[in-house]
Amino acid sequence: MSEPKVFDKILTDIIRQEKGIRKVILVDKTGLTIANVSKLSYYPVDVDSIGAIASAVFCASEEQGKNLQIGELEIVTSEFSEGKIFASACGKGVLCVVSEAEVNIGLIRLLMKKQGVQLAEELDKFLAVEPSTPAKDRELDEEDLKSALAELERV
Amino acid sequence: MRKDDRGRIHLKLVFYGPSLGGKTTALRWLYGKVEGLQKGEFTAIEDETNRTLFFDYVPMSAGGRVLFDVFTVAGQKRHRHQRKVVLQGTDGLLFVADSSPDQRDENVESFEELKLFLGDALGREIPIVVMLNKRDLPNRMSRDEMLDLLGLGGNVPIYETIAIQGVGVKRAFQAIAREVILKRMYK
Ligand SMILES: Nc1nc2c(ncn2[C@@H]2O[C@H](COP(=O)(O)OP(=O)(O)OP(=O)(O)O)[C@@H](O)[C@H]2O)c(=O)[nH]1
Ligand SMILES: [Mg+2]
Repeated sequence: MSEPKVFDKILTDIIRQEKGIRKVILVDKTGLTIANVSKLSYYPVDVDSIGAIASAVFCASEEQGKNLQIGELEIVTSEFSEGKIFASACGKGVLCVVSEAEVNIGLIRLLMKKQGVQLAEELDKFLAVEPSTPAKDRELDEEDLKSALAELERV
Repeated sequence: MRKDDRGRIHLKLVFYGPSLGGKTTALRWLYGKVEGLQKGEFTAIEDETNRTLFFDYVPMSAGGRVLFDVFTVAGQKRHRHQRKVVLQGTDGLLFVADSSPDQRDENVESFEELKLFLGDALGREIPIVVMLNKRDLPNRMSRDEMLDLLGLGGNVPIYETIAIQGVGVKRAFQAIAREVILKRMYK
């Protein structure tokens, strides 16, 4: 399994490059938020639900493209009066950037494309946990699952 | 099963079934009424009449390092593609069937669609629990009639529920959560 911190590092690299970027989120295509970074000044939000929507919106667009047979989806851009959301494919995941309204769109697209390649590689390693999980991790998982089972009966 | 950057285990559970069958009602009841579960925020993408357009979503945990990401799909027929998207990576399914007799065909269609989307994985890699909902209706179909309709034998757990009152909902949820965990432990 690849070190989770590696995602933080790549996302931080992105957020540092353009001052209008407020938040960068990495999600997988099932709606799970894998990592996220924010500018300190940015107001707190519920990252899990933001991630779930980001992933779903991107996958829905992808599906739409398939229906219309217009090729591969590269980026989804949503423009709001006070900000923008960009979502792009990165292998098994979706990279999502939230920015202010006035930003250098070209730069953001370029950043997302460039870092997307590296993220895709890291994601492949990260999501391949199951076959390559060391025995120690598997035992830990088993403990977690057992205690969840016990908790569930008490609910 | 997936993990986040804190190493917590995530399991994805999806409520599936025909429109107006009670999926959102059941999830809202779990969200509002079940004390023992810790929950994040309730996200709903729905129209003004509260019919789901894309999905509802709530993260839940029974404490510890296992999280359930619980979704409902949009049941109306035209939202077929959204349902396919929401189904990605599902670890377990709660199928909510509607007991009103006039929803007979809708139940069948929805269940057939689910089988089509998931193929052989349904019931094998992906466990399923069925809720026969709206058992409070005076003209409800009988349990046997509904099981026949859906072609269900003895190997799928069935719960009779009244989602508006919460009857049976917690048990059905516990059942699917349990199945999904056991599947992970002993596969
Ligand atoms: N009588 C009765 N009504 C119910 C029950 N459960 C839900 N309902 C009602 O059925 C209607 C539809 O419920 P929803 O939970 O929105 O249905 P849904 O399955 O989420 O529908 P979609 O979002 O369109 O897929 C609402 O008016 C509920 O109050 C039940 O157990 N008994
Ligand atoms: Mg609904």
